[in-house]
Amino acid sequence: METKDQKKHRKKNSGPKAEKKKKRHLQDLQLGDEEDARKRNPKAFAVQSAVRMARSFHRTQDLKTKKHHIPVVDRTPLEPPPIVVVVMGPPKVGKSTLIQCLIRNFTRQKLTEIRGPVTIVSGKKRRLTIIECGCDINMMIDLAKVADLVLMLIDASFGFEMETFEFLNICQVHGFPKIMGVLTHLDSFKYNKQLKKAKKRLKHRFWTEVYPGAKLFYLSGMVHGEYQNQEIHNLGRFITVMKFRPLTWQTSHPYILADRMEDLTNPEDIRTNAKCDRKVSLYGYLRGAHMKNKSQIHMPGVGDFAVSDISFLPDPCALPEQQKKRCLNEKEKLVYAPLSGVGGVLYDKDAVYVDLGGSHGFQESDEARPTHELVQSLISTHSTIDAKMASSRVTLFSDSKPLGSEDIDNQGLWMPKEEKQVDLKTGRVRRKAIFGGEEDESGDSDPEDDEEMSEGDRLENSSSDETEEEEDAEVTGKVYIADKGAKRQRLEMEEDTEIDLPAFADSDDDLERSSEDEGEVEEADESSEEEGSSAGERDILDSEALEKGSKHSNGLSDRLNLEKKMKKAALTTSDSGHCTAEEAFASEDESEGNSSLSTEEMDSENEALIRKKFPKPSQVVSGQKQGSESLTDETSDIEDLLKEEEEYKEASNYSTETSGALKWKEDLSRKAAEAFLRQQQATPNLQKLIYGTVTEDNEEDDDAREELGGLFRVSQPARECKYKADSLDCSRFHLDVPHDWDLEEVMNSIRDCFVTGKWEEDKDAAKILAEDEELYGDFEDLETGDVHKGKSSLDTQTEDVEEEVKEEIDSSAEESAKKKHLDKKRKLKEMFDAEYDEGESTYFDDLKGEMHKQAQMRLKKHRWYKKILKSRDPIIFSVGWRRFQTIPLYYIEDHNGRQRLLKYTPQHMHCGAAFWGPITPQGTGFLAVQFVDGTTPDFQIAATGIVLDLDKSIKIVKKLKLTGFPYKIFKNTSFIKGMFNSALEVAKFEGAVIRTVSGIRGQIKKALRAPEGAFRATFEDKLLMSDIVFMRTWYPVSIPAFYNPVTSLLKPVGEKDTWSGMRTTGQLRLANRVKLKPNKDSLYKLIVRQKKHFNSLHIPKALQKALPFKNKPKTQAKAGKIPKDRQRPAVIREPHERKVLALLDALSTVHRQKMRKAKEQRHLHNKEHFKAKQKEEEEKLKRQKDLRKKLFRIQGQKEKRNQKSSLKGPTEQLK
Amino acid sequence: MATQAHSLSYAGCNFLRQRLVLSTLSGRPVKIRKIRARDDNPGLRDFEASFIRLLDKITNGSRIEINQTGTTLYYQPGLLYGGSVEHDCSVLRGIGYYLESLLCLAPFMKHPLRIVLRGVTNDQVDPSVDVLKATALPILKQFGIDGESLELKIVRRGMPPGGGGEVIFSCPIRKVLKPIQLTDPGKIKRIRGCRYSVRVSPQMANRIVDSARSILNKFIPDIYIYTDHMKGVNSGKSPGFGLSLVAETTNGTFLSAELTSNPQGQGAAVLPEDLGRNCAKLLLEEIYRGGCVDSTNQSLALLFMTLGQQDVSKVLLGPLSPYTIEFLRHLKSFFQIMFKIETKPCGEELKGGDKVLMTCVGIGFSNLSKTLK
Repeated sequence: METKDQKKHRKKNSGPKAEKKKKRHLQDLQLGDEEDARKRNPKAFAVQSAVRMARSFHRTQDLKTKKHHIPVVDRTPLEPPPIVVVVMGPPKVGKSTLIQCLIRNFTRQKLTEIRGPVTIVSGKKRRLTIIECGCDINMMIDLAKVADLVLMLIDASFGFEMETFEFLNICQVHGFPKIMGVLTHLDSFKYNKQLKKAKKRLKHRFWTEVYPGAKLFYLSGMVHGEYQNQEIHNLGRFITVMKFRPLTWQTSHPYILADRMEDLTNPEDIRTNAKCDRKVSLYGYLRGAHMKNKSQIHMPGVGDFAVSDISFLPDPCALPEQQKKRCLNEKEKLVYAPLSGVGGVLYDKDAVYVDLGGSHGFQESDEARPTHELVQSLISTHSTIDAKMASSRVTLFSDSKPLGSEDIDNQGLWMPKEEKQVDLKTGRVRRKAIFGGEEDESGDSDPEDDEEMSEGDRLENSSSDETEEEEDAEVTGKVYIADKGAKRQRLEMEEDTEIDLPAFADSDDDLERSSEDEGEVEEADESSEEEGSSAGERDILDSEALEKGSKHSNGLSDRLNLEKKMKKAALTTSDSGHCTAEEAFASEDESEGNSSLSTEEMDSENEALIRKKFPKPSQVVSGQKQGSESLTDETSDIEDLLKEEEEYKEASNYSTETSGALKWKEDLSRKAAEAFLRQQQATPNLQKLIYGTVTEDNEEDDDAREELGGLFRVSQPARECKYKADSLDCSRFHLDVPHDWDLEEVMNSIRDCFVTGKWEEDKDAAKILAEDEELYGDFEDLETGDVHKGKSSLDTQTEDVEEEVKEEIDSSAEESAKKKHLDKKRKLKEMFDAEYDEGESTYFDDLKGEMHKQAQMRLKKHRWYKKILKSRDPIIFSVGWRRFQTIPLYYIEDHNGRQRLLKYTPQHMHCGAAFWGPITPQGTGFLAVQFVDGTTPDFQIAATGIVLDLDKSIKIVKKLKLTGFPYKIFKNTSFIKGMFNSALEVAKFEGAVIRTVSGIRGQIKKALRAPEGAFRATFEDKLLMSDIVFMRTWYPVSIPAFYNPVTSLLKPVGEKDTWSGMRTTGQLRLANRVKLKPNKDSLYKLIVRQKKHFNSLHIPKALQKALPFKNKPKTQAKAGKIPKDRQRPAVIREPHERKVLALLDALSTVHRQKMRKAKEQRHLHNKEHFKAKQKEEEEKLKRQKDLRKKLFRIQGQKEKRNQKSSLKGPTEQLK
Repeated sequence: MATQAHSLSYAGCNFLRQRLVLSTLSGRPVKIRKIRARDDNPGLRDFEASFIRLLDKITNGSRIEINQTGTTLYYQPGLLYGGSVEHDCSVLRGIGYYLESLLCLAPFMKHPLRIVLRGVTNDQVDPSVDVLKATALPILKQFGIDGESLELKIVRRGMPPGGGGEVIFSCPIRKVLKPIQLTDPGKIKRIRGCRYSVRVSPQMANRIVDSARSILNKFIPDIYIYTDHMKGVNSGKSPGFGLSLVAETTNGTFLSAELTSNPQGQGAAVLPEDLGRNCAKLLLEEIYRGGCVDSTNQSLALLFMTLGQQDVSKVLLGPLSPYTIEFLRHLKSFFQIMFKIETKPCGEELKGGDKVLMTCVGIGFSNLSKTLK
């Protein structure tokens, strides 16, 4: 190549670079302007006008206050649940690709198939749950409510689509989560300028929707079917450092974004009865507030349920332990997506699941494997699982025969996997959102769109190739899972063996627990006969029990003996007596890794089970056992007795009854009493006194009795004894044995309660201050520079209480499991589908429960919705967590506070809406959608608004006009009939104001005897018989009690968006081709006006005479045609005469013409003459003017001269 | 169907008020069976019927079903409505019986409650209006329910058995309640009291004072006992006299005790001197029990703690009364809330008996009936 002479460098003369340079140059010359213009030129900024100054100050203050928010209490826990990132966008915009890229960015793992939410650890203190949101309106509504961050994907080559705006509007109504726009398909722009323009346009539109300055991210293009690494990395950074403002609704309501769902129902039950009650467990992180057990929950798209149990699970995607490192190492980058088949080790009440992350698990070297011992041990096993299973033995009781694997069925308990995928239709219809300015552009973009579509097709083809490749990997994955299943079961058995020993150790209220578990055990019992039951461990126990048969009584008694010994040992060895013994056992339990919940449960199950299976041989044993139970009860009861004899009469019942039954027990109770007396100072567990015994059996009283028959009735205290149940209801605390206040000691015991008494040392002011400092003050270690913060006491308290609550929830708490069994409504069983990958967020509100009330709300039709809404047309509301169909009534409030029914919503105004539905707190936003099935090209959100009020009775009225007709008219009084049907009705309206159509006002006076319903009324004027009398009344309307939750998630796969509820009458009419027969009176008719005939005016003769002539009727007939006889006869000329006449005519015509010509000529002549004359005149005038001018000039000069001389004169004289 | 499962069932007429009040607040229907089923005179008594009628007056849309004999009651609560209400209470129980429940409900009405109650202002069974005025209203204030409209005014005094008293109670409404931290009762700085006498010689009231002072003066000199002698139409229908004492601490805790003469025609006549002395002793007993809340108002404080925002509330109480214990159980079944209960034994200090520290996290109850403007 030859050397081309290069273009000369041109210095920049404008732009930021040039300015910078200039500045630097000036600074070098010491001429540089000072940073602050104020300093440099103070005069320019001096106060010119105080008013303006005040105004500007005012404005800045206004702006500042606008930025202020109401402070919100941040109740997020120390380890917050993962942040929900919803990836939203119209189809084919790149959502799945983005999620895949993000997951790969954070975890270095590639998830091929993403279904449902994916939880990943994104940093040292943050986890993300990423979930994809399609454009089904139901899904959009549900996810907008749980989202913390929304990644809103926008196809830049196409522009905004309706879904985007719908989603934005949904977000606005349900509390605004953080929204970040992401522009994709930017590589489809050919020219840079076009790209820039599009970006700018989209950005500004986005800003108007979200807020000016909202972050819009650009993903410039794809590389090998993925977004560019650097861009994804940046996006990830943005997400990880983002701060969130807590949303009121979310923080005040507990909710769960379920990432796993299992159907625990016995498959056999489902087979036999497809509509049987299902038992489903849902898994997820609890967000928002704390949730109580046995509370009411709502599952959007499913319905309302009561939770049967909640428990804690270990975090499947835990944050790394606190460490100094800046970034995570590879094994801390966890990913958990059970619906996609990715996750770590899962503990569960029934099982332990081991799941190794897809392809990632294979790639890692041994060091990088999960450090969890359990998993490690599982991975490092060398012999095959089958072999191990065959050789493994479980011992349930100390001397029972070990249980082999032959008893265990291989039940597939983990999530059923079905490889179904709903293909997106390639020929989908896009719903472009067009705005006024953009309309012309839409035409341009069409061809682009087409291109894009074809591109999309191509992409799909390629992706299908990819999936083919990936299939191999999946197969292996499945094998892995199968292995995992076997391991899991083995694990269970190990647990069993461990658990065996500490049987009754700390079960103070075993009695209740066993009764509690009774139901469950029974279930397990039944299921043991069939295969594939849900509760695996129970099966094991059960089958074992069946096998062992008669051996059991022996074993059991042995076991009981063992326990007794243990108990005694505990009582005697540990000085702390009962309480500490309990603690000791508890700690033992803990040390065993599996804490007491499962232990106790299993034990009690065992007992109950045995009792069931072998009622006869075990009767004695059970009696004993019961005794031992009551032993434990008794020890606590003695405390009770000593403390508050009054209250727990039933407790004493316990002891007397049981002690009467068996001898060996007396000894024990005595010992326990001794132990207790030694420890009398130890505080009694008041909580157990209050909640422990009484409430439990209060609730489960009936069941226990029914199920256990005579067995339990003995020990159960007769709580409904007449004495207690029907005693006096009084809040005063009467003492039976008051202190003797005359004694000096007794008096002294309250000395310090008075200000006159001794004050504590620590109440000294200075000391209190110092203490506070220590407690709350922050101090800085000057050497290390560490700032130590005092922990606020409130926090610790919360923790305390929460712990307490936790313990309470499952009284023998395993600090681990989290699960909910949901009892399903029978009706919905059929449609139930465990496969749908939509995450359900659940919610509970114990107050609201099943209560339905009428709610009033302020509503406004959305300005983009094309139609207006009609009263009594069913509409779907999204309020709170719920989506439901209901029939609203629209109303408007008049000035006097009357709520008047409207037939339709106003076009552009707010109006009220009242509907019958679940209770929602006031101030909650809502939105309304007309239909949720199918997509319409139009904007779907029909209305938005806010809940104002809840009430049982609503005073919406509609106008009712009662009409009547006068049938007898006196002066101002008339008798009216036809308005009422009876005298009673009239009596109710006496004194009411009535009016005629012509405007005469009146009043109802009194009913008449006949005809029925007629009344006397007075008016301000006399009526006519043709008048119609009416009365305006208001008739209250009742709100239709219709509430239909949108159960779209119960639809089969692929039809989730086809839910259609009650149809509107319009739709029904259309479907059935029913034509509405309108009221004839309301039809418009052609107005036919009759011709009006006026009679002639008759003026009396006398008047006629008196009138002036002008006004007198002119009786003379008009001069008409001249009658024939008066007419002159026509002249008929002779031919000659005619000729003469014609000649004369011609001559006269010629003459006339001549004359006209002459006249014209004369006219012309005159004109010219006039012109000439004028000219002459002008000249004459000019001449005269000149002459006059001359004359005046001369005159003026003369005068001047004269004046001068006259002025000069005297001066000269003076001189 | 679900509603049925949702409802709670109880037996016996004891703690009827608690059950109905909690049912109203939680919205859970309640069914009470076997009300005095084995009694010679079975079923609901007049005063209970009157209470149910009162609930009906202040709510909107509640459903009450009582069987023929009055032994079974089904109550499905409506929304608390409030407004201006008048109610004639049964003379079998004091106005305090009704007022205690109204205090629990009043802050959660749709419209501020202003109610006129007629009946017995002071009797020997229920906490009298004087005591409630002195102790319960400060508790409401602790929870952020205060303002000018929080008022309890005794217009007329009525003694049993005739009654004829009248009180006006008005209370503002709140959307949410503040959590409280009452762990230090402080020290008693003054004792105030009110001796009242109706339809008896005013001298009777004067005789009470000296005997009461003689005991209390050993502890604190700042004692003042007001006289409230009502005459004419304001004095109700039956004669009687009594004394109520309130001890106020430096931290704003009020402890109270009261005693009333035997109703006319029942029991022996009570000497005013004895009454004064016994009442003072009762106050000392109450001080011995101690805590930041009076023993009659324990349940009120616990209820408001439960209904507070989702923050920790703490309160130090004296020994729990049987009424309170049952109330705690009811709170558990209605709101699924369990208190953390710790005993605080008093050591060497001469501060009376053992105390109980009650801690809970509120359920975040919000007044659902209040209208948004």
